[in-house]
Amino acid sequence: MPRPAFLDLARPSRRHWLGYLLLLPAVLLIGLIIVYPLFVSVDLSFQNVGIPRLDQPRRPFTTANYERLFTSPEFWNASWITLKLVVIVSFFCFLLGLGTALLVNNRFRGQSLARLLVALPWAVPEVVAVVIFAWIFDSSFGLMNWVFIKLGLINTTINWFSSPEAAFAVVCVTMIWKGYPFVSIMMLAGLQSIPEDFYNAARVDGANAWQRLTNITLPSLMPVLGVTLILVMLWVFRDFSIIYVMTGGGPLKATQTLSIMTYEQAFGFFKMGYASAVGVVTLIVCVIASRLLMGRAPETV
Amino acid sequence: MRRSLRGSALLYTGVVLTCALLVFPIYWLVVTALSTPAELRALPPTFWPSAPRWNVFAEIVQQRPILLWLGNSILAAAGAVTLSMLVSVLAGYSLSRFKLRGGQSLGLFILTAKMLPATLLVIPLFGIFRMTGMIGSLWSVILAHATLIVPFTTWMLKGYFDTIPRELEQAAMVDGCSPLGAMVRVILPVSAPGLAATALYGFVLSWSDYAYARTFLTNAQTNWTANLGLTTMKGEYVSNWADISAASLVVALPVLLIYLFLERYLVGGLTAGAEK
Repeated sequence: MPRPAFLDLARPSRRHWLGYLLLLPAVLLIGLIIVYPLFVSVDLSFQNVGIPRLDQPRRPFTTANYERLFTSPEFWNASWITLKLVVIVSFFCFLLGLGTALLVNNRFRGQSLARLLVALPWAVPEVVAVVIFAWIFDSSFGLMNWVFIKLGLINTTINWFSSPEAAFAVVCVTMIWKGYPFVSIMMLAGLQSIPEDFYNAARVDGANAWQRLTNITLPSLMPVLGVTLILVMLWVFRDFSIIYVMTGGGPLKATQTLSIMTYEQAFGFFKMGYASAVGVVTLIVCVIASRLLMGRAPETV
Repeated sequence: MRRSLRGSALLYTGVVLTCALLVFPIYWLVVTALSTPAELRALPPTFWPSAPRWNVFAEIVQQRPILLWLGNSILAAAGAVTLSMLVSVLAGYSLSRFKLRGGQSLGLFILTAKMLPATLLVIPLFGIFRMTGMIGSLWSVILAHATLIVPFTTWMLKGYFDTIPRELEQAAMVDGCSPLGAMVRVILPVSAPGLAATALYGFVLSWSDYAYARTFLTNAQTNWTANLGLTTMKGEYVSNWADISAASLVVALPVLLIYLFLERYLVGGLTAGAEK
């Protein structure tokens, strides 16, 4: 079949032009503030630049940033910290989020209030969450030291932000509190889309609560579970505000993730070429990981 | 199915415990803001101040330009949301109603844009804003926040428009409306709740940003957003937790109110499409 002429407005297909026209502003804006900057940062990652001057000719092409990156212990340390953080935070977000969703999905009085409260931390700005937990874990007068001493877990107060392990733990706790309500919200939505008939049929067949959970609830939740897992992992992977405001990546780089390292290199040491290389690697990991996990991207979210 | 008495007791205990643990940090923020410095240093901790210092809010507003920072946050969010809504209403409608060549891949690209690390994008944006002289002005933050908001709002709105029957605009077109007129006069009014929820969601994203404001607005204190101002208080007032907590409450309040009043819509938008 011959293709229609370029601007054949007499054909019924001309309505499509309206569709393209409506997309145009979004395409222009995204091109200007996302696609073009993305090209710029890839370009920067192949130059030896401090503070980029985009109005001046580019520096010569070099792969030095990437070579330095892959041979630097700092990068591998940041990768390891990021991986630890992603695994620990996502795991607890899922455990607690799924548990809470199953709990609140039961019918009881005050259910809507409970749902409102359970998702509340999701709405708290990250910086405010940091203020809350930095105070709770304050080394002199924080609540957590008092609780731990009362419980007999420790004898003297812990200086949470000067010990690498403790600081990492505090960051994890903050991120879990802030992040797991999102999992609850998504899981609740998933639970509500499972038809009641499934459960009734299973009860007739004599399935107990555990069997109903493993044979109906979890398999039906799988698609939502997958999407939510990706979103949570990406959030932890890329998060900047919580860690930067709370610990700045320290102590002894114990909380320096790839995001923090990118930012520090760019705006702490003004090595923007090198920082862009870290950022580009981060982005590639993000895209590959989400494609691997997601498979069928377009319909979801 | 009726639950046994023991089952109910367990259920209620579990629900109350979970809610208490989740809400406690916010409660603790309120207590801290209202306590006197002596109470904050007391052991055991004071779980409700004997004489709540309600005037702490008036005090911090006098001591620091918090109202100015809040105003900047409102301006930045209003600008970013207006810009984002203008483009994403059109794009969301187009993605929902037209099967376009390249539409699918554009949608996919927008989805990928949600995965961009802000710390990567902030570097070229810094260069671009420096070149155009926008560093330090709220315009830089408005544009940068649009990178956060547009991917979300476009997908939320596409999902919302998908739930509106096509017959509505077909009927309007039979009555002589142009395709564009049908969208503006029929579909947009019907979508008002969805548009409002989406816009508020964008507002929350902009309001909560720290990374972009921290990078682009550092030179003049008068241009700081609320989140940025708040973190500087955490840095210098190491011991004054009551003031920091009071400021945090002021900063968090707009978003918490939006959430409490519009929970149903916000959560609905967040989970749209995830149930498939």
